[in-house]
Amino acid sequence: MKRLISTTINGRERELAVAPNRTLLEVLREDLQLTGAVEGCGVGQCGSCTVLVDGRPVSSCLTLATNVEGRSVTTIEGVAPAGQLSAVQQAFINRQAFQCGFCTPGMIMAVEGLLRDEPGAGEAQIRDYLSGNLCRCGTYSAVIDAVKDVIAEVGAARDRASAG
Amino acid sequence: MRRFELLEPESFTAASAALLEHPEAKAIAGGTALLILIKHGVYIPELLVNLRKIPGMADITWDAATGLRIGALASINDVERSPLVREHLPMLAEACHVVANIRIRNLATIGGNVAHGDYQSDPPTALVALGAVVELTTATGSRDLPLADFLLGAYETALEPGELVSAVRVPPPGAGWRSAYLKFTTRSSEDRPAVGVATLLQLDGGTVREARLVVGAVTVTPSRMTEVEAYLGGRTLDAGTLAQVGRMVAARIEPIDDIRGSAAYKRRLAGVQAERALELCSTMGAAR
Amino acid sequence: MTSIGIDAPRVDGPAKVTGQATYTADIVLPGMLHAKVLRSTLPHARLVRIDVSAAERELGVITLTRDDLAGIDPYYGAVLKDQPVVAIDRVLFAGDVVAVVAAESRDIAEEALDLIEVEYEALPSVGDPFAAQAPGAPILHAERNTPEVQFLDMKSVHFQADSNVCSIYHVAQGDFEAGYAAADHKFDDVYTVPTIQHGHMEPHASTAYWEPGGKLVVHTATQNPSVIRTQLAEMFSLPESMVRVIVPYLGGGYGAKTYPKLEPIVAVLSRKAKRPVSLVLTREEVFMTAVRHAASVRIRTGINNDGQIVARKVEATYDTGAYADIGPRTCKNGGYASGGPYRIEHQDLTSYCVYTNRPPSGAFRGFGVPQVCWPYESQMDDMARRLGVDPVALRRQNLIHEGDTFVTGDKLIAIGLDKCLEEVASAIGWKGIESTRPMPSDKPGFVRGIGIAVMIKSTMTPSNSAASVRLNSDGSATLLTSSVEMGQGPHTALAQIVAETIGLPLNRVTITFPDTDFTPYDQSTSSSRTIFSMGHAAQKAGLQIRDQLLEIAAKQLEASPGDLQIEEGIIAVKGSPDRSLTIPQAFRAHFGTPVGSLFGAFDFQTTGGLRPEDGKGKASAFWFLSAAGAEVEVDTRTGKIRVIKAVTVVDTGKTINPRQCWLQNEGSMLTALGSALQEEMVFDNGQPVNSSFLDYLMPSMEDYPDEFQSMLVETPHPEGPFGAKGMGEAALGPVAPAIGNAVSNALGGIRLRDLPLRPERVLDAIDAAAASGAAASGAAASGAAGAGNGGEAAR
Repeated sequence: MKRLISTTINGRERELAVAPNRTLLEVLREDLQLTGAVEGCGVGQCGSCTVLVDGRPVSSCLTLATNVEGRSVTTIEGVAPAGQLSAVQQAFINRQAFQCGFCTPGMIMAVEGLLRDEPGAGEAQIRDYLSGNLCRCGTYSAVIDAVKDVIAEVGAARDRASAG
Repeated sequence: MRRFELLEPESFTAASAALLEHPEAKAIAGGTALLILIKHGVYIPELLVNLRKIPGMADITWDAATGLRIGALASINDVERSPLVREHLPMLAEACHVVANIRIRNLATIGGNVAHGDYQSDPPTALVALGAVVELTTATGSRDLPLADFLLGAYETALEPGELVSAVRVPPPGAGWRSAYLKFTTRSSEDRPAVGVATLLQLDGGTVREARLVVGAVTVTPSRMTEVEAYLGGRTLDAGTLAQVGRMVAARIEPIDDIRGSAAYKRRLAGVQAERALELCSTMGAAR
Repeated sequence: MTSIGIDAPRVDGPAKVTGQATYTADIVLPGMLHAKVLRSTLPHARLVRIDVSAAERELGVITLTRDDLAGIDPYYGAVLKDQPVVAIDRVLFAGDVVAVVAAESRDIAEEALDLIEVEYEALPSVGDPFAAQAPGAPILHAERNTPEVQFLDMKSVHFQADSNVCSIYHVAQGDFEAGYAAADHKFDDVYTVPTIQHGHMEPHASTAYWEPGGKLVVHTATQNPSVIRTQLAEMFSLPESMVRVIVPYLGGGYGAKTYPKLEPIVAVLSRKAKRPVSLVLTREEVFMTAVRHAASVRIRTGINNDGQIVARKVEATYDTGAYADIGPRTCKNGGYASGGPYRIEHQDLTSYCVYTNRPPSGAFRGFGVPQVCWPYESQMDDMARRLGVDPVALRRQNLIHEGDTFVTGDKLIAIGLDKCLEEVASAIGWKGIESTRPMPSDKPGFVRGIGIAVMIKSTMTPSNSAASVRLNSDGSATLLTSSVEMGQGPHTALAQIVAETIGLPLNRVTITFPDTDFTPYDQSTSSSRTIFSMGHAAQKAGLQIRDQLLEIAAKQLEASPGDLQIEEGIIAVKGSPDRSLTIPQAFRAHFGTPVGSLFGAFDFQTTGGLRPEDGKGKASAFWFLSAAGAEVEVDTRTGKIRVIKAVTVVDTGKTINPRQCWLQNEGSMLTALGSALQEEMVFDNGQPVNSSFLDYLMPSMEDYPDEFQSMLVETPHPEGPFGAKGMGEAALGPVAPAIGNAVSNALGGIRLRDLPLRPERVLDAIDAAAASGAAASGAAASGAAGAGNGGEAAR
């Protein structure tokens, strides 16, 4: 039987009727037409369905939709205002950190988690944190470069702020 | 996924009562193991009891006398990042850090991890080495069981009908113990452990006063190497001692074959990794 | 040139980083049903009874079984039509399609599968090509359809009947037996590679519906829309114009999405359902839909004391699985490349494509060549070690060169392999024979080594690509093409070619997605042929537009067309920039007002083909040449290998977009690294054991080498646009043997011949070498290294 839950999706409060067997990924894609998160493996191993729940990256394919009741979900569609790009998205474009693009939204969401959890990460930490997001096209070097760019930018901005 | 019904109790006692009332039902917490079984058709439920809406069961607390208490619904990542865990039980933080990936660590719970009884996992090995106790709750009360006694076999635990893991407790390790957890994968960084070794040492200068050594992921439950622990007492961790440890572990462990390696290979691996874990522990393992 | 050889930003960037890029599974049509497949639980069985009545009755689903195939040709297949839409009399592998249901939701469809009753009569099965050829083995395809004539290159493939050998390809020159007998040293080894997965992150997905007028429309994740159209037209006896195939972005393909996969299923089921039907596979089902051929390769080589390779015989046996798919071509192309890029007087090369009760093997990045490059490049290093010479020098001595005649009879042109070899040796830090010795690691129990390898590979030949370019009156242009954007970047690179050809700013050129109602024929987005073939067609089509513009402008500017240039959309007299026209002005001059279109269209067919009698002729329109280098660290106590550094060098002919080429090489390297170290589909009694990403591990960001370098050399090809050749899969082949050679060098000459180089295998090899008294670590002199070599003495 469907249950009503209230949740926040990309900053907007929503009332959703979800069946017990529905995953967050299904609800995002099919009920809310947020198709940026995609299913690559269905078992939490590839990262293509990564979204943030209360700021933390999770596999939406292994999250029962009912469990986001009262929580805040951020998808790739919510990382920047419409028509704009987040710093991470811009860095991915600058570094051409994508090929087929199927893993890209999940990868970017994982990077958002990384920036929150380990804002000063070096390459080893970047690899450690993102190693659960698979890319078969072979774009890891570009992703690492893009993340380093963002971290350097944030660091530089902080330095400027503290100097000013 | 095939359709199922879901009960969402708001307390552990209510959850326990629901499980007693519906013996076919299973409890689901993080869901990272159970949902895969359901998706793969290995388990086709009619009813699940969702524990995720139970408040206050994810707390991690420390008491100098009784040690650490981790609410069953704390995520693996909560445990890893807990300042209390990092301060008092760094080995447990490490064993949690090497589980799967950040997304799974954010979803999976410590209670689910031990209740699932999966031998191909890291935290149970560390927790057994640390002498962890599981707190088992029913509608009518609760009991404690050492994790080593709780884990009975592959996906087999001492959980009684209607019982739920409500917390995992780790006694204070005492002063002067160093610890290390060492995971070894045979295929990818993202693989489950082919072997995991947890070790604790109390050193007196270069001499071992007391040691604990547990080898996990090669046997259906973590294997504590008591004879090796006894052997280590009073010795220095030189090359000869380590080599003997490796031989002893290899001789005593009875690994099971799986896709990560044959029994014969894992036997050798267990020995080598035991040596390395001890070495790591003695040189790098945080002492307190 | 302004648009060629630059890191043009990818046009698909904004869509892909925002999650707005559309993949097939994102497409939702009104009234669409969701399909699920019931798959065989047995590797080989007779289908006795199948009963869907309970599923239909209790859940109201629509089903597809063998009883729903009236009025159509239920068989499809790239080369041989041997694969039915659903099982008819037998199932041929665990995972074969038995029935399909369509329901309002996926979960109901899934539940309906549980209600279908199937009765099997188990039959003996064959798990590998050798069991399949054993006396008394069950014959999987007793009746064969005739090979498709659509592929001109298939004439040289000898199809077999009455056995499980599907096809054989053979080519030879000289007299192997005599050459081998006279050689100073003889090597005779068997190498194997297992079944692996493509690992495209987007699972296969297709959606179909029928228009009231009888037209079939299919949205599908395919690499070759034109072929899908043909196959579906044949299945339903429709004119090709009544089949419309539309392809959005693909989330990777690597060969797995070539030729029909789900399209026949959704086409037949939507016909019955009279509603759109969508089928999106789970990852587990992907493992049962397309795999890379496992292979066992016996390679015999005779080499003289002076380092000259004189004779080579290769027998490569490929496991093509339950259905032929494109296997006969994979095996043919692997077959003639199995001698390697070397001048060898006496060669005898045979490849066998063999049916087994396994998931069907098909195209996979590298297309049959990684299976043979692994043997010949591994054995090359063993030969160098035996002779006590530098393996790089040994390759240099024997390499093919410009103008040589290949074993197929091809006159080799645009051959920059020597440059690839020198570049890779330099980049990996090769120091001659000294580099064949173990290098120390700062970690006790670990050793390091470096290794290199080279490769030659063909492209699908002959083949057709047609392009149509439309220039609008505002100076913007559209390239209509059926080339598929699956990550490799044709939407950007083809735009660069068109912009450069006509003389337009890059941002004024748009590339269409394939839609067979509008975009012309293209054989396939595979075989790394898009830049070479579609690029050529697009260039020719663009030139037609350029010529029209020049003619129009010549009249207006009172100059001869030869004196004009077009740059950035401005047509001007060379040297007199004030005598110029914009494109809208040219349109106004031509049409009286700036409206209308200028068209260009070209169908480029590469020529070639091999003769049936001797397998010779022209095998390839161009040749891929590449080299790879690897530095590894081996944990001698556990056998675990880590690749520290990887280098790939590819001869692109002419690089259109260096950044994209880097990423293509990185992808080839990463897939090959996985195949070298960790990837392998495991079967137990015909049942797949690890068909999930939990148990099949592809390289992660932590598995990725500490350092990767991609280098490009340019040996222009006369038929390629601006000299460009294909490059997308070129780097894959040599990576695994480069890693294997680095491991061998790290371990003082120990040779592993079976992929993947699992830690357990490495440790066993170290043990075996130690037991036989050969050095496993430290300073094995090159002359003393019989270790692990199954060469002349052993046989």
